Amino acid sequence: MRILASFKITPDYEALRPADWTADAADGPETRYVRRILNCFDESALELALRLTEALDGHAVAAELGALSIGGPEADGHLKTLQALGYRRTTRVDAGAALDFAPGVSAALIAAFVRRVDRSDLLLLGSRSGPGDSGIVPFLVAERLGWPCLPQVTDVEALPNGRVRATSAADDGLVRATLRLPCVLAVGNAAVSHLRVPTLTQRLACRDRPLDVVGAAALEVDVAAGLLREAGPASLEVIDRSRPGVVVGGATPREKAQALYEEHLKPLLEML
Amino acid sequence: MRVLAVLDGTSDAAERRARALGDFLSDGLTGDSCHETLVVYHDQRDRERLVALAPTRDLRLIRVPARRPDGVVESLTAAARATDAGLFLFPGDDAGTELAARLAARTGGAVLTQALSVEAAADRLICRRNVYSAHMVGRYDLSGSPSCVTTDASWDGAGWAPPAEHRVVADTDESAGADKPAFDDVELLEHPAASDLAESRFLVVAGNGAGTREGVDRIERAARRMGAEFGVTRPVAMSALAPLDRLIGVSGARSAPALCVTAGAYGAPAFFWGIEKAGFIVAITIDEAAPIAGNADAVVIDDAVSVVEELAEIVVAARRRG
Repeated sequence: MRILASFKITPDYEALRPADWTADAADGPETRYVRRILNCFDESALELALRLTEALDGHAVAAELGALSIGGPEADGHLKTLQALGYRRTTRVDAGAALDFAPGVSAALIAAFVRRVDRSDLLLLGSRSGPGDSGIVPFLVAERLGWPCLPQVTDVEALPNGRVRATSAADDGLVRATLRLPCVLAVGNAAVSHLRVPTLTQRLACRDRPLDVVGAAALEVDVAAGLLREAGPASLEVIDRSRPGVVVGGATPREKAQALYEEHLKPLLEML
Repeated sequence: MRVLAVLDGTSDAAERRARALGDFLSDGLTGDSCHETLVVYHDQRDRERLVALAPTRDLRLIRVPARRPDGVVESLTAAARATDAGLFLFPGDDAGTELAARLAARTGGAVLTQALSVEAAADRLICRRNVYSAHMVGRYDLSGSPSCVTTDASWDGAGWAPPAEHRVVADTDESAGADKPAFDDVELLEHPAASDLAESRFLVVAGNGAGTREGVDRIERAARRMGAEFGVTRPVAMSALAPLDRLIGVSGARSAPALCVTAGAYGAPAFFWGIEKAGFIVAITIDEAAPIAGNADAVVIDDAVSVVEELAEIVVAARRRG
């Protein structure tokens, strides 16, 4: 079984100052000075893929793990970490342009990579990622590959017969299904939310292993034409969520709670 | 512009979907447009119930061979090719998102998810949706045909009712088509929970400022004593300090309580989206510079766990006094 997990590195938008959201809204916020983070749904997908590979190994099913990221060199550090954790194939697709608001182009690159290069048969993707947060990339990849897609996956397990079962928390409730490969899993709010940390020994063992970098042209995806179709937002506006923010007085938690109740909450709670 | 609202009636979520579509057609869609509903169903026994739920008077019915979106989309694509509709509108749940994406891909149309509003202009659609983790709203011009748009979860249809009369203008049965199962041994473990968070009138939300599992548990106990529902922010849920079904925000529940008390929440926009419709918001935080302080009606600068526990004692004592 060839498993591929895809991930995206994004700026940590929560680290921006409020002023950054108002300075020049037309072009989006300036993010060069904030750290880059792994999209949280992708992080779950990467750890679930590792656990699944280990479980399949326990059932004597050969499974090889790959990781893919589309973007610039900011993903390379994460790809090296994934190498240390046991990801055998680590590839960055350099699109040559920002694809933040181009889910169709991202999906075309992922699908082309799977079909032309990787030949994987189980694909794990995070349900959504910023800043566009469209939530459609897994479905568009599945559509391009002609595969089914299970949304909002929260867990993946290996069965003793070597098949894979996934749990999904989508519209119809909590559903468990045995997969028919190939298929796409869109990982949602999984309880497994943190990627494990490799040891120094693991890192040293793969320090000389190169990362694969593939250009969009090699995948025969016309990024420029795709970006013309998916131009992103024509304009941006900041959302004003401000409220009065009246500070409640008092010296101790008890006094402050009492003042909060008397000055603000008493009539509200009496109505409830 | 002709607008087709797609009501996927192949699952138990049909009523919620109808409400979202009806709500959006009433107040989210502006400009010159005429509306019909495309009702997709699988089980003949659901037909009349779905007709009664349709958010527009005129509707088209398609009986499909499968319940899954990838089975439904084939029938939907054929319907799209047989109509001049410029906009296909879907509810913003998982099935609606998958249908919108797959339909746009098959028809060469445009797709946009989680629309806050759509304005139908002569040659395009002007859509607004949250971007940058709900820090900003983006305005998009869609000119693809058809445009496949899903509604934002804030269009929940509270107070909306379907039209009193319906007229079936087309009725197609494609249920004899091939249905190739995508998965095996599909087992429903739990029905979708009736969300106590979404319906809550009084909500207490614990954030990272609660510090530890004990802090989160103490806030939950205090919330329950006051008769409030209990939710958490994403960092708390992701640290496994509370179950994921307690999550409030873009990736969890959205609530519009009369009163919301946040305890130790930072106030990231993706979280605040989940409570922004609250009538009155209290922020209890030790960080007076946190965004939640500026977005609350009343702010208490102190340890969140201690203040919530004191507040619970005061509320319970007041209730006992009558």
